[in-house]
Amino acid sequence: MNDAKTFGVKLKQASCVLLAALGVLTGCDAIDPTEVDNPTTTDNDLAEASSPTEALLPGLRAQFARMINAYVVTEVVTDNYSIHGTGIVVDLDDPSSIRPDMINSTGTSVSGVYWNVQELRALADFVIDEIAPSDPTASAADIAEAHYFRGMAFLTMGEVFVAAPHQEDGTPQSPAASLTKAVADFQAASAFGTQANAALARAHRLMGDAGAAEAAANAVLSAEPELLFAQDYDANFLNNTPVAFLVLRALQEMQPLPRLDFLDPKYTTRDAAIPIAKAEEMHLILAEAALASGNLSGAAAQLKMAIDLAATRDMVTFDDNDERRNADLTFRPRNSEIVVRADADSPFRSGLVLDRPADDLEIPAISGTSLDADSVAGLDDADELWHALWLARQEIMLLEGRRLADLQIRLPMMLREIDQNDNISEGDQGTEVAHPNWLPVDPRYAMDIYAPMKSLYTSNEADAELMTTEVTINVDMNRVLTENRASPFQR
Amino acid sequence: MSRTLRANAGAVLAALSALAGGAAPALAQTGVVQGQVVDASSMRPLSDAQILVEGTGIGQLANASGRFVLLNVPAGDHVVHVTLIGYSEAEQSVTVAPGQTVTIDVSLQSTAISLDELVVTGVGAETSRRALGTSVEVVGAEEIAVAPVQSVATFLQGRVPGATVNATSAQPGTGSLINFRGVSSVFGAQTPIIYVDGVRVDNDQSTAAGTGGEQSSALADLLTTDIERIEVTKGGAASTLYGSDAATGVIQVFTRKGTPGAPRITGRIEQGIELPELKYIFDTRLAFPDQVESGEVTGTFMEDVYFKSGHTQNYYLGVSGGTADVTYNVSGRLEEKDGTQPKDGSTNYSLRGGIQASLTENFTFEFSGSYVRHNFDRLYNGSAIADPLTTFEVGDALFFSRASTLQEAMDIFLLPEITEWVNRSIMSGTARWQIRDDLGFRFTLGTDNRTNQQRTYEPIGFTPGEPTGELRRFDRSFTSVSLDAGLTYDWSTADGVVGTATSIGVQGFRDDESTIVGRGRTFGLPGTFDFGSAAEIVADEGNVELFSGGVYVDEQVSVWDKLYVGGGFRIDAASSFGDNIDYEFYPKATGSYILSEDLPLSFVDEFKLRAAYGQAGNFPGNFLKDRTFSSTSFRGEAAPRFSNPGNAELRAETTSTIEVGFDAALLNNRIGLNFTWYDAVTSDALFQVPRQPVTGQGTQQENVGQIRNTGVEVAANFQLLNKRGFAWSAGGSFQWVDNRVTDMGGVADFAVDGQKWVTEGQPIGTWRLTTPIDTNNDNLPDASQRVYTGYHPVPNKSGGVNTTISVGSNLTISALADWAGGHHAFDFGSVWATFNGIYRLERLNCGLDWVDPRIEGNPSDGPTCASAFPVQFDTAGVGKRKYSQSSARSAFLYDGDYFKIREVSVRYVLPESIVQYAGASRATIYATGRNLWIWSRNQLLDGELNGLSGGGLQLGSESSVTLPPNRTFRLGVEVVF
Repeated sequence: MNDAKTFGVKLKQASCVLLAALGVLTGCDAIDPTEVDNPTTTDNDLAEASSPTEALLPGLRAQFARMINAYVVTEVVTDNYSIHGTGIVVDLDDPSSIRPDMINSTGTSVSGVYWNVQELRALADFVIDEIAPSDPTASAADIAEAHYFRGMAFLTMGEVFVAAPHQEDGTPQSPAASLTKAVADFQAASAFGTQANAALARAHRLMGDAGAAEAAANAVLSAEPELLFAQDYDANFLNNTPVAFLVLRALQEMQPLPRLDFLDPKYTTRDAAIPIAKAEEMHLILAEAALASGNLSGAAAQLKMAIDLAATRDMVTFDDNDERRNADLTFRPRNSEIVVRADADSPFRSGLVLDRPADDLEIPAISGTSLDADSVAGLDDADELWHALWLARQEIMLLEGRRLADLQIRLPMMLREIDQNDNISEGDQGTEVAHPNWLPVDPRYAMDIYAPMKSLYTSNEADAELMTTEVTINVDMNRVLTENRASPFQR
Repeated sequence: MSRTLRANAGAVLAALSALAGGAAPALAQTGVVQGQVVDASSMRPLSDAQILVEGTGIGQLANASGRFVLLNVPAGDHVVHVTLIGYSEAEQSVTVAPGQTVTIDVSLQSTAISLDELVVTGVGAETSRRALGTSVEVVGAEEIAVAPVQSVATFLQGRVPGATVNATSAQPGTGSLINFRGVSSVFGAQTPIIYVDGVRVDNDQSTAAGTGGEQSSALADLLTTDIERIEVTKGGAASTLYGSDAATGVIQVFTRKGTPGAPRITGRIEQGIELPELKYIFDTRLAFPDQVESGEVTGTFMEDVYFKSGHTQNYYLGVSGGTADVTYNVSGRLEEKDGTQPKDGSTNYSLRGGIQASLTENFTFEFSGSYVRHNFDRLYNGSAIADPLTTFEVGDALFFSRASTLQEAMDIFLLPEITEWVNRSIMSGTARWQIRDDLGFRFTLGTDNRTNQQRTYEPIGFTPGEPTGELRRFDRSFTSVSLDAGLTYDWSTADGVVGTATSIGVQGFRDDESTIVGRGRTFGLPGTFDFGSAAEIVADEGNVELFSGGVYVDEQVSVWDKLYVGGGFRIDAASSFGDNIDYEFYPKATGSYILSEDLPLSFVDEFKLRAAYGQAGNFPGNFLKDRTFSSTSFRGEAAPRFSNPGNAELRAETTSTIEVGFDAALLNNRIGLNFTWYDAVTSDALFQVPRQPVTGQGTQQENVGQIRNTGVEVAANFQLLNKRGFAWSAGGSFQWVDNRVTDMGGVADFAVDGQKWVTEGQPIGTWRLTTPIDTNNDNLPDASQRVYTGYHPVPNKSGGVNTTISVGSNLTISALADWAGGHHAFDFGSVWATFNGIYRLERLNCGLDWVDPRIEGNPSDGPTCASAFPVQFDTAGVGKRKYSQSSARSAFLYDGDYFKIREVSVRYVLPESIVQYAGASRATIYATGRNLWIWSRNQLLDGELNGLSGGGLQLGSESSVTLPPNRTFRLGVEVVF
């Protein structure tokens, strides 16, 4: 019994000591289990940043890279590329089938183009309107750069979409309204470099203002006659998206129209740069303005300059010999013996299709074209010049995103925007795809199909024999553009 | 009567001397009580019955022969209580003389329902079932010990009424998807919270990188070794006291701490084989007819070359025993399994120890600890490019490997090495202090530490497009600390008519989880297997910290021991609640009435009515209350962007459940019936609400939705025969649930998992798939759109049946089957097969005019049949009748109903006369089979399989070609010394 009492006393003593220790420890917060620390930057953390504008600018740069990724893959909607695999919703290859739910991703492929445009715009708004004004360390160069990125968001919005809101609960804004804002931002971004003027030229062209576009283009060419401003990527963290579909994924999921085969794959490595602004485009804008005003010789001269400049740009050597990279179900034309005509009324042309697989394919990494500069310089027929202009734009700026706007296809906004904004309802402007009635949409994939497809080879194996050397593309979209006077300067 | 430390030491010495020399000498002033427990009807010995000498703390579990020996029982008159799950409690008076041995034989009457059984889950203190207003399932040690399974989750399959438990696949390290009472959340895992000896443990179903469709799970290393009892509550009032993450139910595991007596040494050796379940495998005869025809391979290439018989071996050694004051149980287990596919195997080492000590008459201490080391290898599954099984089944093997023969292709697909190890230790300490007869205090503190490392090595030459090799590594470290302290106070009127039991407690836990993922790419030379040799290395990490704590009060009032009314609440705070939310309040109210006490009917032995109302919660996502900016690396800079938009009003989603039911024992305890109807409404349901994209902000968790689950649970057991040493019993259970999203809170329909969507009026995860439609009223489809199919991925009915036959005290034969249905499963294998012109699905075989849409001329390679879905496509217009699989996904959805004979086992206890030759007290030989036979409504995929996609809500029923759990046959011997 005594032992029991002793134990009881000990227990009480131990309890007292433990409680006292607990009290001290609690007082010191030494064992506070309730404290958690969010490992991500919160508003409070951001408020402590010494140079928040400078810290956020890399975010804008990365977001711009994402937007460009998604933007250039919109070329699957056009005649430039068709979809051959599971990585891109196949209905995006058919403009008349596109619905807001196909533009509903936040990823960096074509389905995420709306998201990434708006995220870039919103992040730039945040930097320009909320952070920079109260950041004494924000430099003029920082702010100019932010304006450039926001301008590019508005420009892309004006190029790609039927309409899109500019602010929360906003109503859909027309492309003209977006382009007007883009122009204002580019004017505020002049300190960022010549590329701001190049963007200005593109915006004015889209607005149909030939004079302003020419002025900006000339300003670019006088400042940097060989301007090349490109978006670099990161092999580990933010890859060039088209590379996955052109090279890495086994199905070669984006395949070019056969007459563009010699330009494919334009991007071959995960960190390959995508051209954003280049002098060739300025020459082409000047050519287009000249053509629209009836100055055929001026147009031909500018076209020649564009083609000559393109010929000086870098090439990339591509090893196309990994068999698994050619696991191709779709009988892609892959012999240099093949001659291609742009439609049934056009002549067959050779040299457009390369021998594949091969370990030393030479592909233009920046600009390439099948046009001969001297021949183009000698053209004096307006329609032939227009056709050459459209073809030059298609080839020289392949996979730079321009083709969608050239074909005047406009995508609907993201389904999420329609669902979440009380001021936007289904059927409103911007909620459905739009394209000109001259765009061939019947049969499905009318711009992409060619003959023969299945019967070009004896099988889809690498050693299959070629059964014919003549490939005819269903429709020559450059002829369609010419016939329908599709230039913004002709409207 | 107080017991001293010195006396305790004496008892330990006595036990040790017993260990060394046989029978323990009785101490002065004490005697020995021994005897045997048998079934009153069949006279079969009953092992694991709990024998307790009232008022002394002296107790023991009956051994395998039903025998017990209680040492050091103080001289005098005593009452001995004997209890066993499934039997009525028995009491027997004994008089113990100093130095003498008293022998008592106890016969127990089996009961169809055990109203006197004590449970602790959900009530704050030990409470008899008769007072419970809720249903609580209890599974006893005997059933757990003999089940031919490794993990607790697998064990529950078919054994717990109202539970749907689905396996992931045949591969090791994966968990089972456990669901009670429907899906109550659109974001959180539906896995119930799990406690082991009062300590909250890791129940994460996604603890490493996915290997195609399969995820490593923390449930895989919660083993069945040395479990005394499992209690299961399925949500509602029974979960209220567990607060903000108990809405999906609570599983409590109690481990063995030993019983007084001489040391019992138990050894078990099992050898077994595993056979692949090939029911859903079509093999090369379907996928590669050209190679079969040319004689390159047989039509059963996979069966011949890829699949194999696996071998399992399982060894167990345990010691338990102790004195009246100190008992212990220690064991080790080793299980090695060589699977049925190449590079598919596991090794499990585990140690478990438990000790219980009475330091004084009023103060006891329990400690339990376990350590598990689990090593396993796995194959990719669920991806047509990297997964050998799928790639061969759907005809992609040559295409993706670019090999010239199937054997070469197989060699390439078997190149990757996916290995993982898990180290896990769970420790729990509980102190109990009976301050006064009516006032008790309990304090539990414990931890679960789990670390795992997964390495996925794709050697040079494997990855399509990346032939330079890649190593990915996933390290996760998880620590949870839990604390539980409570006071219980009992009071009753002098005449005992009215009694109350009050529990007040605090409970809290803290989880810290850290993951690091790394990837090394481009190796120079073959054989390289670590990051240092890679040309490019990238790494990322994730950290989660969560604290939750709360107080609870529970009050039970009993009147005449037949009417019980209770109430209580829990107030909870958590670090994941928004800044404007201080706490959550969860009330509960319960009632039960033993109707049979007032309405005696000759054929009714016991009849209890019960009703309950209660709330329980589900935490919002960790740190989702904050507005955040996350940065990624981009070209050498840290690039921030908007991350979580932030929500100061973020709170737990709350499930309020009303349940009513009855438990009945009929016809002299030959029939037991349990019935429960429930209606559970989850309000403030957390939806991931998208912000307008124009804001640049993604989605934010908000409490906007409402989900309702209404269902019934029925269980019945029948004592079909029980006489002259022969007993035959059978049982069955059925559960049905109607799951609906009843309010979207203004949020547009959204996908929760690929093609599974959330929309008002439909079950969570309802399949929304592209379907051909007729827009020009010619009765032929000419377009396609995503439509709600009306089908859903989670079974809405399931059940189990079991039967046991005992012959004498030696032979027991039992069988268990389970089924589930009402759900539909999506077969990616069939989708991918169509790319190669292979028609795995009967409907396509007889329907879809399958053709690549870009190929002109519309050649139709696939057979057609106008009567089958999706009938003939519209032929108007060129190209209008060309639809790819992406336009007709609903054709790949199949009825998931299945019925499986899960287990059959035969156990034979060798006669004592033989066993004694070996110096043992008991020896059992047994043979078990598991996953023996499957019936399924579709012939293409197993409707049970999860197809886990990782993280968050997991609804299953979506897979490529996945092997069902192996058919397993084991032969074992258990010897007790």
